Formats: sequence, structure tokens, C-alpha cells
Amino acid sequence: MAVEAQKDSTKVYKKRVLENAEVDLLMSYYKQDGDHSVVGGGVGSEKLNDVTPTIVITVPLNDDDVLTIDTGLSAYTSASSSNINPFNSSGASRKGRDDDDGEHNSGNTSGKVSGSPWIASSGASRKDVLYSLNTAYSHSSDDRNLIWGPHVSFSNEFDYTSFGFGGSVAKLFNEKNTELSLKGQVYLDVWRPIYPTELHEYNQYGIDFLTSGYFSDVPVIDQSGNETSLYKPERFSTVSGRNRNSYSASFGFSQILSKRLQASVFMDLVYQKGLLSTPYHRIYFADKPSYYIGVAGDIPNYTSSTNTGVYRLADDIERMPDNRFKIPVGARVNYYLNEFVKLRSYYRYYTDDWGITSHTASLEIPLKVSQRFTITPMYRFYTQTAADYFAPFATHLSTEKYYTSDYDLSAFHSNQYGIGVSYTDVFTGFKLYKFGLKSIDLRFNHYDRSDGLKANIISLGIKFVFD
Amino acid sequence: MVKFSIPKGSKKTLKNEETMKKLIGFVLVLLCLSSCVAVKEYEKVYINDPDMKLSATPNERFEVNYQVYREAAAGANGGKTGGGCGCN
Repeated sequence: MAVEAQKDSTKVYKKRVLENAEVDLLMSYYKQDGDHSVVGGGVGSEKLNDVTPTIVITVPLNDDDVLTIDTGLSAYTSASSSNINPFNSSGASRKGRDDDDGEHNSGNTSGKVSGSPWIASSGASRKDVLYSLNTAYSHSSDDRNLIWGPHVSFSNEFDYTSFGFGGSVAKLFNEKNTELSLKGQVYLDVWRPIYPTELHEYNQYGIDFLTSGYFSDVPVIDQSGNETSLYKPERFSTVSGRNRNSYSASFGFSQILSKRLQASVFMDLVYQKGLLSTPYHRIYFADKPSYYIGVAGDIPNYTSSTNTGVYRLADDIERMPDNRFKIPVGARVNYYLNEFVKLRSYYRYYTDDWGITSHTASLEIPLKVSQRFTITPMYRFYTQTAADYFAPFATHLSTEKYYTSDYDLSAFHSNQYGIGVSYTDVFTGFKLYKFGLKSIDLRFNHYDRSDGLKANIISLGIKFVFD
Repeated sequence: MVKFSIPKGSKKTLKNEETMKKLIGFVLVLLCLSSCVAVKEYEKVYINDPDMKLSATPNERFEVNYQVYREAAAGANGGKTGGGCGCN
């Protein structure tokens, strides 16, 4: 009887894992610019804008179970991806015709066709919207020392769909001073490949593509500016597989080290298989002649932003191995210096079998300036070696098996500086309908990459708690 | 000790593998040695401060997202380890 009574008592006073439903309204705006467009084979504008409204709803289903629904979109415009078809702003697809949809459009018959890797084209691929939905369920044991749950995710954009699922389990020991966690995830993704316009047409019409279809009667010129019919990207073939599967296992270990110090170590093992290259990334070979469409006078300035009128025709698309194994290992150490100052540090080592190793280190220093306001200066340093398959614009040889001119896979280092401002009201004094405002977080960061790419990102998070 | 299998066995990769193993071992030993005395629940007022969380804040995810796009490394930060083309 006494035991039963004690059990009942435990049930009555068991603290809910989450007291009330919470709603996080999140938004970010990202803007970048650089001069190594991967669609242009390593040359051209990388201007990109991205807006990501997101909502995360966390609902307690009962004392032990929590359901999280996370949905949002990412709407972007990109100069780089606009140039999958660089010619449409001024000629080949004028009057609304465009080849980005993969459908055949009958040809251009007159007019001066031009393009430039430095100017965004007006084609359909200049913008896209990614929609995503993630759902997670978690269950906590009565003593709150075991937490487990499954999760599923889905995202879709014009040329790519991703479906993911997985599960996680966490065990707390040592009076909740120690936590071990394990997480497994599988992503089953599918490409709907789109190709650079000239390669798409070559694939469709073969050697007659300059007199049939999209490019009919559009003059191709050689390095000297003379009209020619010799352009034949014979190395090109469409991709053989369209799937990209990712499998990952994540291990975590966190430990409270003292009343003011705690740390965690985590490691992922990630294996990817399938189409790991991007089908619209152009490649230009050093051992093949150059062919262009556009203004011959701009050819000598091709790699300069003063080139406004000529676009070089691709020799092939990026080719990468069909598998990749990644091992990132990270650690966080947080220290409570005093009521006003805390230190949040992070380090990650990364290696993969494409030849890339990297180091990441960051430090955030939350400074409590009043009961409700915290200002957080932050800094992050990142460095990586190049992938074995990377070479700059027009330096790969056609005899190579794998090649890319994607500067995201080049050797570089980057610095990121930022500041965050957060407002927290634990009593949720401000009400909106039945929701109390719990916190507002605003973060701004500037990103500076050693290859010249620069970016700014501002993000806002507002948390409401259902009363 | 976890055994890492890296298909490509270049000297550089093997050296990196050794460095990583040492790093993991060092951090694990450090944490285990320091965890002999448990901090009681009533002593966790500093540890439970929101700024002491060992996870990222909700809107940090956007920074992690663009870092995954613009850098070759990913993972070990609570961000995605796969899914999505990351191609823009």
C-alpha cells in the first residue's frame, strides 16, 4: 500500500516535460556576392538573396510526450543559377521562351544573342522556393533520464526532393550530470536534373543542335571571334542516376564539469551515395578550344566583370564520385564566469574521403546588460583544404575522371563576425491573444571568405508560450 | 577505441585520421576525469542559465544552413547531415 501510495504521489507531482505549447516565429534574410559562380565554371557573379520564414510549434501531448512541427520555406534569387540559361535575357528565349523547364522551345531566328556570367539572366532558374516540413516526437521516461523519439522530414524545390526519417535516444546518468545520446538519420533524395542550355540542346539534337531547336541560327564564335560550327561538347552525357541517399549516425556525450562549467563532445559518421555532383555546374577544359555566344569584343575580358556580352559554352558538367564518407567531430565548452558574462565556445574537426579537412572554431560571449536584455558578440573562424577534384576555371583536363570548379570545395578560410541581442521575459508579460511573449532573439553576422565571397545574414526569432 | 575506415588511404588522410583519434581520446579522458563529483540539482542554477545551453539557439539554424552551403564541412553542430542539394 505504501509503495502504491508513493507511486501515486510520484504520478501526481511528476513535472511535465513541457508545461505549455510554444510557438517560435523565425525569419532570416541572407545576401551574398562573389565572383566564382559555379554555374559559370568558377567565373561569374554569385549574387544571391534568400528569405526564410519559418514556424516551429512545440506541443505537450501529455506529461511525457512532446510533438514538434517545424515548417517553412526558403525563397531565393540567384545570379549564378539564373545562368543555367544565360542567353534568355537578350535573345534565345525572348518573348518568354525559356529552356529551364527542360521542354523544347523552337528556335530563335534572328536578333543578337548574348549573355554574361557577370549578369543575372531572366530565366526561370533565377529564383526558386524550397518548402520544408519536419516533425519530431519525443517521449521521456518517468524519471526523465531516458528520452527517445522518431522524426521525419520532407522538402521540395524545383529540381530536388528530399525525404528523411530517423530516431534518437538520450540517456542521462550521474544525477543528470552526464548524458549520452545516439541519433540515426536517413535521407532519400531525388534529383530532377536540369542542364546548362547548350548541353541540353546538344544532348537533344546532337551535332545538328546549332541548326535545330533552341540555338537555330544563333552564331557560335571561337576564341578569335570568328563564326564556327566546330563546337561539339562530346564529353557530355546526361547523369545516369538521380538518387542521392545519405545515412548518418550521431554520437553525443555531455558532462557537467563543475557548478559553472559544462562541455559536450559529438561525432557524426555520414555516408552519402548517388548523384553527389550538381548537373548544371559547368566545366571548361584547358585542353579543349573555347567557343562562345555573344559579343566577340568581350572575349578578352571574359573573366572580368567588364564582360557584359559574351558567354562561353560548356565542355561538360561537374563530375564527382558517387559516394562520400564524412567524419565531423565537435566539442562545446560553456563557462559561467559571473552573472553578467558567460563564455560559449565551439570547435569542430572535419575530414572526408574527397580529400577535405577543416577546422572550425567559434566563441560567443553573452553579456547580460539588464534583467531582460543580453548582448552577444560572436566570432567564428573556419579553414578547409581543397577537394581532390577541384581546380579553378578552365584548368581541368578532359582526361580527368572527376572534376569540379565549385569554390565551396576549394581551399579557403573564412571569418564571421556578428552580434546578437536578446530579450527574455520569463513571466510572459506581453500577451497576444492567448500567447505570452517569452523571448525575442535578433542576430546579425558578416561572413568574409578568403576567395572574395562576402555575405550578410540577419535572423529574428520570437518565442510565444500558450497560456 | 572507435575504428575509422577511410576508403582513400592517402598519407594526408591517414595523418588526419591519427590527429582526430588523438583529439577525441584527449577530450574524452578530460571529461571523464572531471566528472567524478556530481553537481546536485540545487547547485545547477548557473548551469541552467539559458545562455549555458549546449545546443544552438533556434535562429542560429539559419547561419548553420548557409555555412553548410558555402563550406565543404558539415555536421557535429546539430545541423543537417544530409538532405537537400545545397546547390545555390
